[in-house]
Amino acid sequence: MLAGEIAATAEAGRHYKLMEVCGGHTHSIYKYGVDDLLPSNVELVHGPGCPVCVIPMGRVDDGIAIAHHDRVIFTCFGDMMRVPGSDGTLLDAKADGADIRMIYSPLDALRIAKSNPDRDVVFFAIGFETTAPSTALTLKRAKAEGVPNFFCMCNHVTIVPPLRALLDSPDLRLDGFIGPGHVSTIVGVRPFEFIPADYGKPLVTAGFEPLDILQAIHMILGQLADGRCEVENQYKRVVPYEGNRAALAAMAEVFELRPHFEWRGLGFISQSALRLSDDYSELDAELRYEVPGVRVADPKACQCGEVLKGVIKPWECKVFGTACTPEHAIGTCMVSPEGACAAYYNYGRYARRKEAVA
Amino acid sequence: MSGFCQDDHCVTCGDIAEPMKVVRIDEGRELALCSAPDGERHTVEIAFVLPVEAGDELLVHAGTAIARAEEEVSAEVRR
Repeated sequence: MLAGEIAATAEAGRHYKLMEVCGGHTHSIYKYGVDDLLPSNVELVHGPGCPVCVIPMGRVDDGIAIAHHDRVIFTCFGDMMRVPGSDGTLLDAKADGADIRMIYSPLDALRIAKSNPDRDVVFFAIGFETTAPSTALTLKRAKAEGVPNFFCMCNHVTIVPPLRALLDSPDLRLDGFIGPGHVSTIVGVRPFEFIPADYGKPLVTAGFEPLDILQAIHMILGQLADGRCEVENQYKRVVPYEGNRAALAAMAEVFELRPHFEWRGLGFISQSALRLSDDYSELDAELRYEVPGVRVADPKACQCGEVLKGVIKPWECKVFGTACTPEHAIGTCMVSPEGACAAYYNYGRYARRKEAVA
Repeated sequence: MSGFCQDDHCVTCGDIAEPMKVVRIDEGRELALCSAPDGERHTVEIAFVLPVEAGDELLVHAGTAIARAEEEVSAEVRR
């Protein structure tokens, strides 16, 4: 029914390109075939919202360098283990003898630190504002409880600067945005108001159920049809306009903005990532251990950058599904199930084949 | 095969929080024992969603409750 309303709202002869910012949306769209329910002139473009997909190879190398210290137990989330650096992945480093352990929460890493007082436990923190508050709480806990052997290598990124960078990119043409759901539970809806105000594009924050996404698309098309351009919140049942004040306060205490940070495919973006604040510098793994800090160029064949900017679709990449698969990823977008390429590889291949035959 | 996320999405880095039910609360430490839909139990930070009671449904991401879980899709959406 909603699909019918979307078709009725979309103006015939006009081509709509909408970007879903969040990797979780990309995953739902492919898993439930949401794009199959849309009229052919409504196209979804997959944005940079998978934290694993945007981490540059040099940061992986830095993590591996820390992990190779004898004293170190290196802890990270599962997806991160398979992200290629310039000389292999964390999983390869583990096979070489580094003590690398997969965890589900930073609290797990703190627990490992407490039960291994003679080792340094380093937590490789990654993620947008959904995950950063969790790291902040664990760092506050480590400091309050005086755990001396817990350290954090901080790779947290923020959502607004890359969106601005994308909007400033000359090769991008978008009509509107599906705003991230769970990032917005933390930051609220307000930080996205610059998108209609400065760039004239509507944004609708959406939940992760297929119906949520369809309703958000309907709301964006409705705005375009009415000549409106604003931030709307489809996910009001979970996302408050102001975000979560307690989480924002914890983040402000523990983190500060880095002057700039490299994003895979998007280059250096100023004030787009977090590091530990001065009050937490004794827990900063990058200060305790020297890291190479070398910038590594992405493999030439890999077109993650264009995929992340929505300039090409995953299957238009030269190595998609051939040299680059989830088992042997060349590019980061193929690693995490939330990555545009992996999501497409896992769920989208059949639809595409059907299209090719028809 | 350990070391990988076996779910169809990665709970920790996928920017998606999972609904969990509060079983027991450790108020002094601002932690709760929560039960995931698969029955597995997890220790969860609750500082951002206080006050919390046993039986509450929370959205949990990387071991931290970031919001209260509401009905999956609102009646308004289903229409």
